[in-house]
Amino acid sequence: MRFQVNPGDELPIYRQIMRQVVDAVAGAQLKPGDKLPSHRELSQELVIAPLTVKKAYDELEREGYIQTVRGQGTFVGSEARGQTAAARVERLRPLAQRLLHEAALLNVELERVQRLIVEESGRLERTRGGNGAEKRSK
Amino acid sequence: MAILELEEIRRSYDRDLALKGVSLSVEPGDVLGLVGRSGAGKTTLLRVAAGLLKADQGRVTVFGLDPWREPVKVKRRLGYVAETQAVPPRMSAGELIALHRELYPSWDGELERQLLERLAIPRSKAIAHLSKGEARKVLLLCAIAHRPELLILDEPAGGLDPAARREFLELSIELLASEGSTILFSSHHMTDVERIANRLVVIERGEKIVDSELAAFQQEHCVAVLPASTPPHAERLRGVDGFVRSRARGSSIHAVFRRDPGELKSELRDRLQLADVSISRLSLEEMFVAFVGAES
Repeated sequence: MRFQVNPGDELPIYRQIMRQVVDAVAGAQLKPGDKLPSHRELSQELVIAPLTVKKAYDELEREGYIQTVRGQGTFVGSEARGQTAAARVERLRPLAQRLLHEAALLNVELERVQRLIVEESGRLERTRGGNGAEKRSK
Repeated sequence: MAILELEEIRRSYDRDLALKGVSLSVEPGDVLGLVGRSGAGKTTLLRVAAGLLKADQGRVTVFGLDPWREPVKVKRRLGYVAETQAVPPRMSAGELIALHRELYPSWDGELERQLLERLAIPRSKAIAHLSKGEARKVLLLCAIAHRPELLILDEPAGGLDPAARREFLELSIELLASEGSTILFSSHHMTDVERIANRLVVIERGEKIVDSELAAFQQEHCVAVLPASTPPHAERLRGVDGFVRSRARGSSIHAVFRRDPGELKSELRDRLQLADVSISRLSLEEMFVAFVGAES
């Protein structure tokens, strides 16, 4: 995956990196076991301090998204651990609110929004090759 | 042990008090971005830290030493690039580098060679004939090829075009990644500070008003925007916990708080009955303006 940061944003740079990793894991651009660039590589690529990359990775590791294997590198974890199911759902709430606001603005009914989510979920499932959510729900 | 320790530094020029008792401690591995308006005292502070300007009062300790008692010992372990540096105009870049090579016992010839190549410095050209960016690169090479334990840079990217500035940033990042250097630098570019620094210090009229981990500083603050048409907001806002500053902007009032946004929102709504308020985060540049810009 390609990282991108935007200094001058309201979100601190380390948070921007964290968000991109979390989004990429959620969108399956990053899969469990995928290797992430080293602190040094990513810091040079994005022209940001190595300490900032370290801070982002440390936080991501604390939240269970990635794992560092000494001498081998940093890898995407098998699943987002370290958070309760309720907390993980709660993280989605702002996105749900935003979606419903947009839907109201565009005059799209709730039923149609729900269908849209199901459609997109099916598409995501196919790109993931049928694992992921399906496995987890069993 | 701190690499650099400034304690209650006071310094004046004629009658003007440039530093009014500033204390600062720089730890190994810190990359400290010093920001403030022009004339706030940044250059004075950096010169005092580098042992180039004597403080009227207060104590300076670099590597545990007094830079005025042991100037050579301290300067050998320090790198410094001034905002505007006087260089003999006819001297070539190569000659200036050779001069520094003689001065520093810890000079690393291999690093010099790498930097010359990396920075594409024209060695035989007289310094006066170099572009601003090229001249800055030569001075930077002179300041880092002896592998200083502390690097002090005054406006290192000042006056550089965007491409030269980016090149400078890339070099700094490489330096940080490979050497784990400790750097103290001043800048007017908040985005550069954001890219390189892990610590932010703001000085305003000779006083330190912010000293914080950079990302934390940004995350601890938020701005409340309310319509200016429903007074008397200003006085009431001042009484709210964590209030920093407020400014009138167009038809709104922007008030910066050091508070959690959610908490602030409920307090403004419930306690002050301000329904029409929106709360958001700020970019580092906006925060800087909020802290040192004119208040209205």
